[in-house]
Amino acid sequence: MAILLWLLKPLEVVLDIVLRFGRWIAVAAIGLMVCAILLQVFCRYVLGNALPWPEELAIFLMLWMTAAIAPSAYRRGGFVALEILSSALPKRGAAVLALVLLLISGMVLYIGAQMGLSEMSGLAGKFKSASLKYPTPDGWVKMPNSWQIGSLVVGLWMLFIVNIELILRNFITLAGGEDRLRPAFDAELTAE
Amino acid sequence: MLVWFLPLFLLFLMIGLPVFFGMLAAPGILLWLNGQERDLILLYRNIYNGMASFPLMAIPFFMLAGELMNRGGITMRLVEFSQAMMGHFRGGLAHVNVLSSMLFAGLSGSAVADTSALGSMLIPAMEKEGYTRKFAAAITAASSVIGPIIPPSGIMIIYAYVMGESVAALFLAGIIPGILVGVGLMIMVKFMADKYDFPASRTKASWGERGDASLKAFFPLMTPVIILGGILGGVFTPTEAAAVAVGYAILIGMFVLNTLKIKDLPDVFMRAAMTSATVLLLVGAAMAFKTVVSLSHTPEILAEFVLGLSENPLILLFLINLLLFVVGMFLDAGPAIIILGPILGPIFVDLGVDPIHFAIIMSVNLTVGLATPPMGLVLFVASSVSGERVETISKAILPFLAVEIVVIFLITFIPEISMTIPRLTGFAD
Repeated sequence: MAILLWLLKPLEVVLDIVLRFGRWIAVAAIGLMVCAILLQVFCRYVLGNALPWPEELAIFLMLWMTAAIAPSAYRRGGFVALEILSSALPKRGAAVLALVLLLISGMVLYIGAQMGLSEMSGLAGKFKSASLKYPTPDGWVKMPNSWQIGSLVVGLWMLFIVNIELILRNFITLAGGEDRLRPAFDAELTAE
Repeated sequence: MLVWFLPLFLLFLMIGLPVFFGMLAAPGILLWLNGQERDLILLYRNIYNGMASFPLMAIPFFMLAGELMNRGGITMRLVEFSQAMMGHFRGGLAHVNVLSSMLFAGLSGSAVADTSALGSMLIPAMEKEGYTRKFAAAITAASSVIGPIIPPSGIMIIYAYVMGESVAALFLAGIIPGILVGVGLMIMVKFMADKYDFPASRTKASWGERGDASLKAFFPLMTPVIILGGILGGVFTPTEAAAVAVGYAILIGMFVLNTLKIKDLPDVFMRAAMTSATVLLLVGAAMAFKTVVSLSHTPEILAEFVLGLSENPLILLFLINLLLFVVGMFLDAGPAIIILGPILGPIFVDLGVDPIHFAIIMSVNLTVGLATPPMGLVLFVASSVSGERVETISKAILPFLAVEIVVIFLITFIPEISMTIPRLTGFAD
């Protein structure tokens, strides 16, 4: 139990900081998405000049918004699931079931994240964006697609790390140390 | 062998695995067992490609617009408007509850947002006027299902995207069914008001008072006009219309009504982003799931089974309504549509049911499921808003559910209810 708690505490602290940062990225991303699309509409109808990049930028931002905030949603139990069986089981049985489910979820996330890495470094990631560019000393350069593909990879790895935290919490619950766990993940969200 | 992914997925779902993971684990395991490891990468690519979509962006935008309007006090104006119009009838506040839900539906498209926004305002007011708390919570929950039926609607955007239909056509097809649910509930309220002697909430408003309430609600009520008008007029795509709705909500909240502050925005944005992220991941997983549905020939196998039951589309539609109703009792409308759309849609389209008509049958049925015991999400929201037990609300809601079931069957067997407006506007054949 002591080892589990020793492993969990630093992970909780790191995730608190990283996920808070992620939530602020998501806030900025969704705000910029709205601005990009409104700019597109404005330029098309008022200036009579349809810009080529807002749509692609908005998709890029939407993917990063999802990757940045989905781990927070997972941490607070925001992924839809049926809880009929677990609520019908005794406490210990429910904890064992939760552990099995977390292990399956972890397997999915790990395989997905591995595939994502190979996709990012593969052919798809080497193609260039049609309209998104970034500045370099030599001028504007087209953005590689790997920057966009990387969003899902980062999201899956972050979800995987949150999953490890949830597994540790579950082991501690099974070992009878539930009272030594932080009461609710929502505390760090409502504090903002 | 691949077809076994469906029972495996159902098993995962029943034991409580989150839908997102179940949609990937079940097909993934079966592909691996089938020696098709190379196809696993298809799942990954389809998640990514499924999410990297411009039409899908309408979901976070409509969610954000709904949150902004809620935070900006627009709900209050809608209730005042409804009260000026219907508050003088016997059972006035119950009618106001239903009408407010119909108006709110034109802004948010979410049953949960409707229940929490209107419930927190109207349930205490109804109790004060002598309604029982269980009745107030039940009518709030029952009327909130209009939210995702009248456009804009989150679940219709998801259905349109996953099944390759027109968002505009589905939005238009939802208008009459949504109004029908509202009118049906009002008829039930009138019947109950006469039977149980419900009070009228106020004396009849003068034309001046009605004009004043209409003026105050003018800007919020213009939102659906801008969204639908913009889409139908070819001015905006649905995604652009949703972004315009966000801009409009910020403008009227901050500068017209002065109820929204800049410091409110980060929290509102965060809530919308968080809800959207889980939906977007689900849609991505659905696109991967859909690939395996096709690879495994599941629709063909299921079609054979379904046609073995009967070849009469009307009987099959009746059976499918029963299935959807049961599914809706346990699963949220969005995930249910994502799972069942790719499986059931092709079967009924092959039987000659119009895809838009089938989309509305699914959407309305699963949306009503949000208010059905034991797992209906809005029942839990109504319970937390009212402080009444879920079991008590579940009993009180039964007369309203009966009305909604009648409407589902009307929509199922009279396609014109949903198809007339899309046909008149050229969005359906």
